[in-house]
Amino acid sequence: MFNHDRKFIENKYHKTDEPFNPYARMAYHGYGYDKSTGLEDEEIRDGLAKLYEKTKDLPHPVAKAYAVKYVLENTKIDINEHDFFVGFWSVNRLAKCITQDKWYDEVFDNILPGLKEKMHDMNESGAIAIWPDFDHVVPDWDSILKLGFSGLKKRAEEYKELHRNNNTLTAETEAFFDGIIIEYTAIIDLIDRLYKYALTKTHPKAKKVTECLYHIRDGAPQNIYEAMQVIYIYFMISECFDSYQVRSLGNGLDNTLYSFYQNDLKNGIYTREDIKELLRYFLMQWSAIGNYWGQPFYMGGTNIDGSTKYNDLSYDILDVYDELGIYNPKIQVKINENTPDKILFKVFDMIRRGKNCFACCCEPGMMKAIMSYGATYEEALNMDIRGCYEAGVRANEVVTGTGYVNALKSVEYVFSNGFDSRIGKQLGLKTDELKGLNTFEDFYIAVLKQWENLIEMTIDVSKQYEKYLSFINPSNMYSATIEGALKKGTDAYQSAVKFNNSAILNCGFASFVDAVMAVKKFVYDKKVVSIQTLAEALNKNWSGFEDLHTQILKSPHKYGNDDAETNRYAEAMSAYFASKVNNRPNARGGVYKAIMHSAMQFVWQGEKTGATPDGRHAGEEISKNASPSVGMDKNGVTALINSAIKTKPYNYIEAHCLDVMLHPSAVSGDEGLEIMKSLLFMYMKNGAQTVQFNVFNTETLRDAQKHPDKYKNLQVRVCGWNVLWNNLSEKEQNAYITRAENIK
Amino acid sequence: MKANIVEIKRFAVHDGDGIRTTVFFKGCPLKCLWCHNPETLSQKWQLAFYSHKCVMCGKCAEVCACHAFSENIHRIDRTKCTTCGKCVNVCPQSALEIFGTEMSTDEICTTLLRDKDFYAESGGGITLSGGECLLQSGACCKILKRMKQNGINTAVDTCGFVPRTAIDKVMPYTDTFLYDIKAIDEDVHIKCTGQSNKIILDNLVYLDSCGAKSEIRIPYVSKYNDEQIPKIAEFLSTLKNVVRVRVLPYHNYAESKYNALNIKNTLPMILPTKEEMEKTKTILSSYGLI
Repeated sequence: MFNHDRKFIENKYHKTDEPFNPYARMAYHGYGYDKSTGLEDEEIRDGLAKLYEKTKDLPHPVAKAYAVKYVLENTKIDINEHDFFVGFWSVNRLAKCITQDKWYDEVFDNILPGLKEKMHDMNESGAIAIWPDFDHVVPDWDSILKLGFSGLKKRAEEYKELHRNNNTLTAETEAFFDGIIIEYTAIIDLIDRLYKYALTKTHPKAKKVTECLYHIRDGAPQNIYEAMQVIYIYFMISECFDSYQVRSLGNGLDNTLYSFYQNDLKNGIYTREDIKELLRYFLMQWSAIGNYWGQPFYMGGTNIDGSTKYNDLSYDILDVYDELGIYNPKIQVKINENTPDKILFKVFDMIRRGKNCFACCCEPGMMKAIMSYGATYEEALNMDIRGCYEAGVRANEVVTGTGYVNALKSVEYVFSNGFDSRIGKQLGLKTDELKGLNTFEDFYIAVLKQWENLIEMTIDVSKQYEKYLSFINPSNMYSATIEGALKKGTDAYQSAVKFNNSAILNCGFASFVDAVMAVKKFVYDKKVVSIQTLAEALNKNWSGFEDLHTQILKSPHKYGNDDAETNRYAEAMSAYFASKVNNRPNARGGVYKAIMHSAMQFVWQGEKTGATPDGRHAGEEISKNASPSVGMDKNGVTALINSAIKTKPYNYIEAHCLDVMLHPSAVSGDEGLEIMKSLLFMYMKNGAQTVQFNVFNTETLRDAQKHPDKYKNLQVRVCGWNVLWNNLSEKEQNAYITRAENIK
Repeated sequence: MKANIVEIKRFAVHDGDGIRTTVFFKGCPLKCLWCHNPETLSQKWQLAFYSHKCVMCGKCAEVCACHAFSENIHRIDRTKCTTCGKCVNVCPQSALEIFGTEMSTDEICTTLLRDKDFYAESGGGITLSGGECLLQSGACCKILKRMKQNGINTAVDTCGFVPRTAIDKVMPYTDTFLYDIKAIDEDVHIKCTGQSNKIILDNLVYLDSCGAKSEIRIPYVSKYNDEQIPKIAEFLSTLKNVVRVRVLPYHNYAESKYNALNIKNTLPMILPTKEEMEKTKTILSSYGLI
């Protein structure tokens, strides 16, 4: 049945055969919706404008709830013959225009004058990417599935009464609860509308969908299908109407759904095959949305008694995912010594077959990171993996991705004495004129000062606006799931939970290390070039300095090669960043957390960064995550991992990720799976957090043929001989590609 | 003590069990027609030139008179090359490479020890290979001894065409010999490798009688040694300490290295078929070898 319906779901929110901008997910719609079910978006916008006149003086949580309610009441809906999951028309955050957008301006135009320009400079220069972040939390799914939408609403009402009885129901607290109650009432009303619409349908799926909607309108989901429907509805409303990204599906999808799974099998509600069929429809929803960053969920983990949390459902999820051949949602797998080989090898095998949706998240390193800021052992065991691969305390930690600090800019600023030519302003410190940097120590201290200044700027600026996060965008829907927020009677983003943290990202780390090492070696140790001449070379983007450029690129002192001296500096610089960020107080009663991760900034900040001493040309990408500069790791993956260990991954208490590239020939057969396990486990035992494996497939090899510069370290190895990919002639490369095609 | 090597390859996964580091020694007493590591044949260091990468920038000619550019051709006078490496350092395209370097056994050991934790995790270790590493048995012995002191698994990849004394020297410190058998019939062996196999077979019998563990590797080259398989199987079945037999189907991917080194390409043209490999497996398993 699914195969028949697949095409419809694939086209649910954008047509697969039409141009699609994956960065602009919210710009798309469903197709062919029944006009009688709601209004066009333009009409909704008009209605919102009218509503604004009535709500503009209300407290923000209430005003937002009314705006969301208006859109939910009027968006067109669908109960489709090809889908077990409901459809929404207005998936484009319409309510934002009379809420978040206005309140953002209020904060940045009126309350914090001058900050907007400062942040604009930080972003434009490429030194620090910074904005108020609402996209890095995971709701408490256990409470959502245990209580259902109506139960969450009831719980909020009860807490409101409790505050009233305790005389703690201030006007602000009341507004907080009212926002939740109004919004959840609107969600329940929407489900009622979906239910009534489903009743009018006669297609074969209608009965099942109707029954499901009837149950989840009035209470908690009763079986695994209903639980999936609740997850989907929560996700869609939160992301598309309430403007909060949902950064994991389930607190471990396999664990969140497991009690339903067991119950349904035991009571004969569904067979295992039925559930697999439902999983196909469920997982395909996120593939259909298809936004660039994808939608994550995690699996597995460890119980308090040391046993694994992987279960039969984990296998079924992986099997279905594998069979669907999709690339989204993406999956983080919690890895520990207890992780069954069957799971590990399934994951590794999928990776090497090009189904590379996995981040391998090592529990020991991540738990150590979380406990370092006060989480208990139990909290660390039950941590959520959020977003890309960030760790956080489940239902008790609200983290923002605050600022992305481009380390390479601190090198650029030493050469320019803090002046940013891109924005034409002094953004860095005046450390010294170049002629004053007589020794490497002078230079190194200047770089660290510039770096520290960027970190301090991030902290200073974010401290000013982060106290206004819930003012800008009250988290009605999310806060209702977080019992701590209800107890306190304030928005979860307003210091309501145990950990109210802000993450600062270390971007371009390897490029930064390489740049500092290049200056050390070529200017100060070997005196190949003066610092002034190097500055000229950088200003001219290496033009006329090709020989120097060649020498620098060939230098062995590059991060990722397990070079002893480079490792020492990488260790020191990594520790420097972490120590300047970790556990510094933020504006929400929490702390800053260092994170070794670059998101897309390795491209975007790279575009805004001039030529740097590591041999980068202006505008080229900077290194990402804890990974080496492109093509600079030449000593194999063990050397890379040894280098990464020196950065002490667990010191990056928000997250730390290493990208490991492997060739299929190195990981073929059963032995190859053991090799991948050994690499991962050795690294895990030495503090790893996250590893992303890349096993090149034939497409990549073809790309390597066209762009050899990007793949300088790619090795081809068959039965005892080895050769660099780039040293093969085209004919031989073609032979190898043909061979790689046979790897299954 | 110094060793003449080509390179130290970390994350080697085809030279024995687990994750290993392999040292490729320079120089080999055999000249197998199908050799896939031609850069290890000669003990002399060699300049390699990957012409497809050259952009005719002329940087090499600026630092060394061996390089000349005329009529859009990059010519190298190899008779004058002292493998000083100056041209390699200035080549922006990495189109030039020197095969051969001298390293002390201490330096080699330092590199080998860096991946100790990977060996432990994967059941791997270190492998001495080549070329023929046992032509430098003194250096091998020093390295192997040091590895055993550190509790690291050791393998020696050998063609077997070495003096018995070399074998005796390394045997106490070698966990596994990766031992190549190419043919049983002497004339076939001479035709394929330029040398008699008598010493090779004798050395293997000797190793076996001493209780040394060996993994036998049989390169399978159609029309050259394919008919030797039953005889090899029969011979191996008389040994007691063979832990594994691997057949390595011949591939011709090394062609670019022959061209780069400007040495005569002796690679056979025919690649083994799937059927041939299946047949070989059947023969070996009938002797209980796989």
